[in-house]
Amino acid sequence: MATRAERIIKAALAKGQKTLSEYESKRVLTAYGVPISREVLVSSQSEAKAAAKKVKYPVVLKGCSADEAHKTEKGLIAVNLASQAALVEAFKTISKRAGKNYDGAFLVQEMVSGSREIMIGMHRDPSFGPSVMFGLGGIFTEILQDVTFRVAPLRKKDARDMLRSIRGHKILEAVRGMPAADLDILCHSLMAVGQIALDHPEIEEIDINPLIIRGSKAVAVDALIVLANPEADGATS
Amino acid sequence: MADVMEKFFAPKSVCVIGASSTAGKPGNVVVKNMRDAGYKGKVYLVNPRGGEIEGYKVYKSIDELPDNIDQAVVTLPASLAPDTVRALGTKGTKAIVLAASGFSEVDHVGEALQDELIAAIRESGARVLGPNTTGHVSVPSAYTSSFFPLGDIPRGSVSYITQTGNFCGISLRHIMSAENYGIARSCGLGNKADLDECDLLEFYGADDETKSIFMYLESIKNPKRFLRVARRVSQKKPVFLLKGGASDAGAAAAVAHTGSLAADGRVVDGAIDQAGVTRLRKYSHLFQVAKALDTQSLPRGNRVSFLSPSGAFTVCLTDICRSLDLEVPDLEDKTCKRLQEYAPPFIRMRNPVDIFGSVGLVGYEKAYGDALDAVLVDRNIDAVVVIMMLTTETGVPNMDFIVDLSKKNPSKPVYVTFMGEHKHNIAAKEYLELKGIPCYMLVEEPFEVLSLLASCRKNMRVR
Repeated sequence: MATRAERIIKAALAKGQKTLSEYESKRVLTAYGVPISREVLVSSQSEAKAAAKKVKYPVVLKGCSADEAHKTEKGLIAVNLASQAALVEAFKTISKRAGKNYDGAFLVQEMVSGSREIMIGMHRDPSFGPSVMFGLGGIFTEILQDVTFRVAPLRKKDARDMLRSIRGHKILEAVRGMPAADLDILCHSLMAVGQIALDHPEIEEIDINPLIIRGSKAVAVDALIVLANPEADGATS
Repeated sequence: MADVMEKFFAPKSVCVIGASSTAGKPGNVVVKNMRDAGYKGKVYLVNPRGGEIEGYKVYKSIDELPDNIDQAVVTLPASLAPDTVRALGTKGTKAIVLAASGFSEVDHVGEALQDELIAAIRESGARVLGPNTTGHVSVPSAYTSSFFPLGDIPRGSVSYITQTGNFCGISLRHIMSAENYGIARSCGLGNKADLDECDLLEFYGADDETKSIFMYLESIKNPKRFLRVARRVSQKKPVFLLKGGASDAGAAAAVAHTGSLAADGRVVDGAIDQAGVTRLRKYSHLFQVAKALDTQSLPRGNRVSFLSPSGAFTVCLTDICRSLDLEVPDLEDKTCKRLQEYAPPFIRMRNPVDIFGSVGLVGYEKAYGDALDAVLVDRNIDAVVVIMMLTTETGVPNMDFIVDLSKKNPSKPVYVTFMGEHKHNIAAKEYLELKGIPCYMLVEEPFEVLSLLASCRKNMRVR
């Protein structure tokens, strides 16, 4: 699994990318067993239509390029597309917004529904090294800053403790008719993110936000992997 | 490493470089402290003037000293530190305590001097505590390198690792005068030019004299090693940490105090949790929690019972327990029945135990004694707090029953707190603590302590 991830990272570095695209980021995550949304990378409208049939409506359409880390701000995301007509419409809008010179691809994604959003991140602390972050996701990450850190490698107990130590930890319990979140999946994902950081010093940051809890199971819906600037001395030490 | 730590904490011989005949000067207080502590090893003093200080012969230079003295305490100014360390290394001394301040905690000049010192330490082959430290204390060896007047320090099982001289200085004096527990080792790390918290933690972890470890740190010098070492030690012994500089303003003060730069506080928080170390948030808990562990055991869990002479306490202290993550569980039926025997029929006895009515009916000792015995053997209870009501008018009972019952149930800690006439409270604290019952002057304190101990127990569970 490490080698699959390594190939993706090496190819991106060779192309001078500073980040992995969402699609590439998720290939790295899934290589380590982090659950991700079903999705197909396409480059044309007809490919998008075929992909949507495979993924099954409703779908999400996103611009997908290593240069487009801020898809939402640029309006390169259309969610809950219930029909082919809606997909075609969205494809036109997003292509237009991306601009004439856009050379990226598009991502047709299953629409993951669930009202609980969480996040997993990783950054390299100058003293402790790779540190895994867990917290409330979506807009609440910024608003509430309800996050907790552990230093990689994480043991199972560390991961369990993390899930319990955010203020909003009750979001993972059975609430308002929703089942309790599957903690094993979350623990595995937290440990996996730590392991990715240890295995790949070229990765500077990981941001999986949000993971949506569908039923009881978390699924990574958006992800970004930032690569280390090779010129920045000691950035990966 | 273990060998050199022996030379720090159980030296057979020691030299004081910069010994002084002037009362109050560090070079003089160190010598008096060693004598007052009852140190039995050989003491050599060095001062260019020679002569005699505090009854000891004074050597004029390090060169004149015999070889291989276990430990040196250096009270010279900062600028002389590098050369002194080299000279001591040549003489075969392996453990050096550097008191002087004026290094990286001050300015650029000090920083450069500290770099020079670090180079000198490497060359010397010695290990160094400090600089900018008050020194250290090792009660089982009746030894101290502190230049803060201390006297005879009571021996106990608590050991301190602190990035401040306070626990070989003013805070130790507070413990010695306001509390009645003893300590094993205490070490002020200073600027950590060489030895750091990991070295000490490793030594305390393996040290038979140390049963519990308390740390005050403003920075963690080698974070990855700390995580590794602390994880191991915290499974064997209770380890507590007050991290100074947790707030932005506190972190700025830490730069001035010990030259510490703050890491990302949130990552540090996570790492401390991972290390199994129990976090303290109050300075006074460095005494309050230590006192509980010196004479009593770590509670098995967070289930508390308390005996209260006031209905208000049963209510508001239950609230406080709740906020501290302590349970005040139902007692076993047989316990309730037993409590009811001495109580007026209109009071329904339960947890917390309202003891006022029983005291009125059968007297102080019988009411409190029987209730304490009953809750201590209750299987739902991990620890008991006794709130005493002491006034001249209501009388002050003989309190040996608390001591006896506590001894009968060594796995369940018993703490005492008070409400009533202050002079009786103080006298009771002195009496009980010298017999091993920790006492707290404010009613919330024993519950705060139990809450921290319950977390500690959880942190120590096999992971």
